[in-house]
Amino acid sequence: MSPPSHSDGHPRKLIAMILAGGQGERLYPLTRDRAKPAVPFGGVYRIIDFTLSNCINSDIRQIFVLTQYKSSSLDYHIHFGWNILSPALGEFIRTIPPQQRVTENWYLGTADAIYQNIYTLERERPDLVLILSGDHIYKMDYRAMLEFHLARQAELTIACIPVPREKARHLGVAVIDGDSRIVDFHEKNPSAPPMPGSPDLCLASMGVYLFNTTTLVREVVADAKSASDHDFGKNVIPRMIHAHAVYAHDFKDENKKPVKYWRDVGTLDAYWEANLDLVAVDPLFNLYDPGWPIRSVPVQAPPAKTVFNDTWAGGRRGLALNSLLSSGCIVSGGFVETSVLGPHVRVEERAHVTESIIMEGTVIGRGCRIHRAIIDKGVHVPDDVAIGLDTKADREHYVVTERDVVVVPREMRYT
Amino acid sequence: MPTILIVEDDEHQQLLYQEELRDEGYNVVVAGSGKEALELTQRITPDLVVLDIAMPGMDGIEALGRLLSRNNQLPIILHTAYATYKDNFMTWSADAYVVKSSDLAELKAEIERVLAKHSEQPKNP
Repeated sequence: MSPPSHSDGHPRKLIAMILAGGQGERLYPLTRDRAKPAVPFGGVYRIIDFTLSNCINSDIRQIFVLTQYKSSSLDYHIHFGWNILSPALGEFIRTIPPQQRVTENWYLGTADAIYQNIYTLERERPDLVLILSGDHIYKMDYRAMLEFHLARQAELTIACIPVPREKARHLGVAVIDGDSRIVDFHEKNPSAPPMPGSPDLCLASMGVYLFNTTTLVREVVADAKSASDHDFGKNVIPRMIHAHAVYAHDFKDENKKPVKYWRDVGTLDAYWEANLDLVAVDPLFNLYDPGWPIRSVPVQAPPAKTVFNDTWAGGRRGLALNSLLSSGCIVSGGFVETSVLGPHVRVEERAHVTESIIMEGTVIGRGCRIHRAIIDKGVHVPDDVAIGLDTKADREHYVVTERDVVVVPREMRYT
Repeated sequence: MPTILIVEDDEHQQLLYQEELRDEGYNVVVAGSGKEALELTQRITPDLVVLDIAMPGMDGIEALGRLLSRNNQLPIILHTAYATYKDNFMTWSADAYVVKSSDLAELKAEIERVLAKHSEQPKNP
């Protein structure tokens, strides 16, 4: 990266390591054939695009993506979609599958993923390592966190966001002193303490860790040699806070909305909701800010189009309202409302698609009724099929969520 | 009597360490390479490993990782002619780093220290 600004005038070498090996079991069947970071989001994006865009927008250009399960889709996406940096200038986004260099195991946890890649740290010898998750959707300028880290002479800085206290059971919660130093840390503990003065909020870790490299190596080595789940939140951070300078950095949201946006779209319902939020007049998450571009694989496709405007009663009309339509879509006499359509989606005549996410290349046949559904890539829904109208019946054929969202897996065949 | 596994490709040094450590009252086993050490530790569990780095075939750095991945409580001392590996992150998972010397006092002291430290710690379940 270009030399960051810093408190003592010395440039620091910083590399990012994005943990992209999660199975995303709760997003099944979207994760049947791909890792969670490769799950499509918002029509043209993959979940990891938000973290990668944060890096690029923060001028971080030495990025390792640690992959593991079902990584071929993610690998393809990064090689073809993110081939934008200059190796001649020492910039790269490189995927690393488990090397089994020091062990015969796959990654046992987040800390073990770094332990198993100490070789890469040795080759690169950065001063600082920014550890990120490829699973989250948010906008963050990591340079502000770096400034904070250097100013506090921290050994580890964790980006934190206030969240409703009932979420403490799913997250790591930091307790800080007046100087933002973390004095206590509770991982997935429903009775984690609230923030001072805000009894309904607690300060949650976003899984964004900025480490001094030598501290990181010592800690992951110590963790590897102890009885542990090899997890940063559960094992490494709670052990570090008493002996090391560990600080919480208050997340500055580049999304510029009244409420800070950070999502772990960990469940199908959360995924559906976060996607459909994008079609709102004033969505919580703004994709349209030229000051914070979100990049993805450029799709080679013609513009989206709507066709047919028959004026007689019962005629065909191609209509899309309150929806995101990606390039290559054709709404051909069908009706689309409050939905997200990926590239090359076709909605045939008299079909209705409402409150749904339709992924790339899927065809919705004539007369179909699709409501509150997620239809993965490459599905050809035959004419006159109803999905989401009778969720009890749908449960016999599909995954249906707690909130009655029906999920059709990739390339599902109808016979 | 604690058992020490010496991993060392040089036969003269093997003999020297074997003799000196036996005199200290240790039970000594020798492996001539990283690969041999991995095979040997399938059958016996030493109380401590003294591991050379520069060896033909699998070197000590790779053997260190593999030994720990099978038993993360196994005490290991890197014992090498080179001080330069000390900065290498790959060596930081060893319990100690001793540069070879004709005087074995430092090695013996480190063996004693590391064994004492490990006997204090609770073992993995």
